[in-house]
Amino acid sequence: MPNRREFLNTLMRGGILAALGLLSVSLVLRSRDKNSCSNGFACSSCGKSQGCSLPAALEARQTVWQLDPSKCIQCGRCATNCVMTPSAVKCTHAYAMCGYCDLCGGYLKPGTKTLDTAAEHQLCPTNALKRKFIEDPFFEYTVDEQLCIGCGKCVKGCSAFGNGSLQLQVRHDRCKNCNECSIARSCPSQAFSRVPANKPSLLKSFGKESLEEAGRKGELNA
Amino acid sequence: MKQKIFIITGLVLLVGVIAIMLADLFSSKKADKANPYDYKMGELRKTDITCNGYIEQLTIKPALEEIHAVACGSGDRIYVAGKNGLEIYQVNGKPDGNFRFEGVASCMALDKKGRIFIGMQDHVEVFDQLGKPCNKWKSISTESLLTCIALTDSYVYLADAGKKIVYRYDMNGRLINRIGEKDPQKNVPGFIIPSPYFDLGIGKKGELWVANTGRHSLEQFSSDGALNSAWGEASMSADGFCGCCNPSHFAFLSDGSFVTSEKGIERVKIYSPQGKYVCMVAPPSAFVEGTKGLDLAVDSKDRIIVLDPEKKQVRIFVKK
Amino acid sequence: MRRIKSIPAKGLKTPAGTTARTFILTFFSVLFSTAMAVRRFPKPEFETNYIQPSTQIPVPRAELLAYLDVFVLLVSLSIVTWLILKKRSRLWVFAMSVFSLAYFGFYREGCVCSIGAIQNVSLALFDNTFVLPLSVLLFFILPLVFTAFFGRTFCAAVCPFGAMQDFFAFKPQALSSRLNTVLGILPYLYLGLAVLFAATGTDFIICRYDPFVGIFRFNASFGMFLFSGILLLSGVFIARPYCRFLCPYGVLLNWTSRFSRRHLTITPKECIQCRLCEHSCPYDAIEVPVTSKSPESRPVRVRKMMILTVFVPFIVLVFGYAGSRMQDTLAGVDSRVKLAKEVMALSGKQDAGYGMQDAGYKMQDDSYEIKAYKASGKTESQVYSEASAVVKKFYIGGWLFGGFIGLAIALMIGGRIMPVYRTDYVTSKGRCFSCLRCVDYCPVKS
Ligand code: SF4
Ligand code: SF4
Ligand code: SF4
Ligand code: SF4
Repeated sequence: MPNRREFLNTLMRGGILAALGLLSVSLVLRSRDKNSCSNGFACSSCGKSQGCSLPAALEARQTVWQLDPSKCIQCGRCATNCVMTPSAVKCTHAYAMCGYCDLCGGYLKPGTKTLDTAAEHQLCPTNALKRKFIEDPFFEYTVDEQLCIGCGKCVKGCSAFGNGSLQLQVRHDRCKNCNECSIARSCPSQAFSRVPANKPSLLKSFGKESLEEAGRKGELNA
Repeated sequence: MKQKIFIITGLVLLVGVIAIMLADLFSSKKADKANPYDYKMGELRKTDITCNGYIEQLTIKPALEEIHAVACGSGDRIYVAGKNGLEIYQVNGKPDGNFRFEGVASCMALDKKGRIFIGMQDHVEVFDQLGKPCNKWKSISTESLLTCIALTDSYVYLADAGKKIVYRYDMNGRLINRIGEKDPQKNVPGFIIPSPYFDLGIGKKGELWVANTGRHSLEQFSSDGALNSAWGEASMSADGFCGCCNPSHFAFLSDGSFVTSEKGIERVKIYSPQGKYVCMVAPPSAFVEGTKGLDLAVDSKDRIIVLDPEKKQVRIFVKK
Repeated sequence: MRRIKSIPAKGLKTPAGTTARTFILTFFSVLFSTAMAVRRFPKPEFETNYIQPSTQIPVPRAELLAYLDVFVLLVSLSIVTWLILKKRSRLWVFAMSVFSLAYFGFYREGCVCSIGAIQNVSLALFDNTFVLPLSVLLFFILPLVFTAFFGRTFCAAVCPFGAMQDFFAFKPQALSSRLNTVLGILPYLYLGLAVLFAATGTDFIICRYDPFVGIFRFNASFGMFLFSGILLLSGVFIARPYCRFLCPYGVLLNWTSRFSRRHLTITPKECIQCRLCEHSCPYDAIEVPVTSKSPESRPVRVRKMMILTVFVPFIVLVFGYAGSRMQDTLAGVDSRVKLAKEVMALSGKQDAGYGMQDAGYKMQDDSYEIKAYKASGKTESQVYSEASAVVKKFYIGGWLFGGFIGLAIALMIGGRIMPVYRTDYVTSKGRCFSCLRCVDYCPVKS
């Protein structure tokens, strides 16, 4: 009797281990087929048909959360729904897109005509956006990340009235990389996705193409 | 006894936890709490509906993948250009031909002979009415971004938002001079073009007008580049141009009045030839929030033709 | 992607232990390398020699560190297993659980854990655009492999959730075996739902209702803290409530452990029936001897067996059908289905024709979901067809989920009616967490 029992045990154990093995192999290999990377580790973004070094390949397989500013509608949930307070999402300034406008749609409350930097004329609820005079008529705007809470108010102003150079981004020095981002769960525009950890930004630039798309085509690796 | 109380307490708490989870997971209440940081754009967009003296008479839906430019030709035919092609419509909106080309048209104008001048990012291509290429100018510079083209009888004016300058060419693509460079001596302040919208137009007396969007003004230049006059002011309310940089486009009515379009608060308005606000043609509510690039044209009957790239429509407004 | 300089992000707070992250990606350089690819609008021409700052993009925690986590997991599993099976020292096991709580809990802040990895694996199985990071796969596999050989040593002192609750088991009360069985169904429900929602791409509910991650991060909403508090409080009387009556990974560990090769035994030699350990287990995982006077005759056993063979498929089918009927409720959790409902309500009210003026004003009252839908340029029918695809998945999923629960219940009933005989005090291999508390009570020493 004990012998039969033991045999059954071994059989079941073997079955479980075999199932686990099969599962892992299929999950690892399937990515290999799809992405034709010689290392067999999916780098969905790389686009190169040649392999890369093993550490790079392993790293590329890791993912982090990022939001796509071109989908974002600035609903404010990035400020309120992150597991962190203040949020790991912050306003990021793509300077290369900025018009350095005097009448900055992201900086000033609508209807403000007097161009002073008085707090009551600033759109940002925490006055995190700083304005610096460069030369007539250009002003530089910077985000103070200590103050920014990621509410997206300035982003909305900038994309409506300016160039959209102010964009929300998950800042990965603060982000905990939750297994499921709690903002992603409630983002109305499904702007959040897992992106390869070695390309953690989805900042958009002018034109319809985002940097990410350019990256996928391999141009960044040129 | 004591043990029972402990067990019951533990169980009640555990069941409580599970109840919270289930209630949260399956409740159908909307996650949409009021956004404490809302930028109430709606308030801004709500203004000025009272002065709406125009109605939308006709809507054309071009088949092009993207549309960027509209122009009016002989017989008030409507030309729409965009990605990889051009479509022509009769005055009543019936299709009247189309042709395809390579590239994204960003602006368009027609000359007296009916040739179609199309600006594509950094160069100009000329087609005849059937789409036969007549001429292809060479690229101006890699940084160029042509946003407007306008023709007089003998000159072609180009607005280059990339270089932030206006060029005067002859009909064959030879550069004659540059207009609007910053020049304190001549009292020309220079163009401030913070975003890729930069329009120009030829007024009823053949004079050149340029939208200096960063200064929220329309400036009138002579063909050699002297600044003659300017008007316009920044304001969120209807009488001025909103945001950082507007108007994004403008056109002329037959009496010399200006029709202007803006982004940010999407609206089409009319100003008198002296630059006084007259009325609203299309209020913000007529457009999808975030629409940019409302190109304008006016036909001989003063119908106002608005290109709506967001809805992919050409919308024709007439006076009530 | 280029890493330009190894200068620390100026002005950015660098959390402790993340010095490896201080590389900066420079948006600027990226932009120029793609100048040809994207239609770029040049910046203003400055006359002063103003230098445009570059946009700094902090790089995530160096992801190779994720493999360090896997390594730590492997090493701690090995150590704990050795401590349990060879050293048999409760004190050392306790010390290891303090370490695990500190490392996997407070330092790694919970993510990714083996429990949550169930969902990543399920999603990867059903959605082949989802790339499963190897570290996550290993987090899922390694504890199961160890369990297959040595029992639930992972639960003893590696899982930070277990460790956390273990510290709170101040006044553990013995629950009746019936209560244990009934509550024991809950983890199957949780597992079923978690896999269902993950596989359909709806949500990761294990993470959504993770009771401890807020504590690990010292950062949670009041509601989350309350939730953790209630659970920990119930754990004062019902030891390890999450592990026993909720944990979905526990289901997998339980079944794997039942077939483990070398599970912990209470006594290192022969049990002397001293009954000293009988009440030592806070988790009701000690099986007392059953020495029935009249063992059931063979025909009786065979009859029971036959009843079960008919009964199990029947229950599975009934529950499967019930599950498929729950399709709408289950699918209602999905945001795509929620959106479709909203869009439908919206279009039901709207008139055809021009009406844009009105619609323009109504937009202010719309939810953000509707605003986002309008901004995305999706058509109404697209939204509906997306939703109907999800609902279809939930129909099949509902059958599978229901069937799974039916099977669990049937097996549980079967386990209760089939006779057991044992002469010694033994640990229940499925339920025992190998915490070693009972070992200290056993007078027999090796
Ligand atoms: S939750 Fe989504 S839509 Fe809302 S602000 Fe964040 S990214 Fe934008
Ligand atoms: S307005 Fe909001 S998103 Fe913008 S800088 Fe201020 S806090 Fe950050
Ligand atoms: S992954 Fe977590 S920490 Fe990061 S943004 Fe999302 S909720 Fe915040
Ligand atoms: S080791 Fe002993 S006390 Fe600990 S869970 Fe197992 S049976 Fe219970």
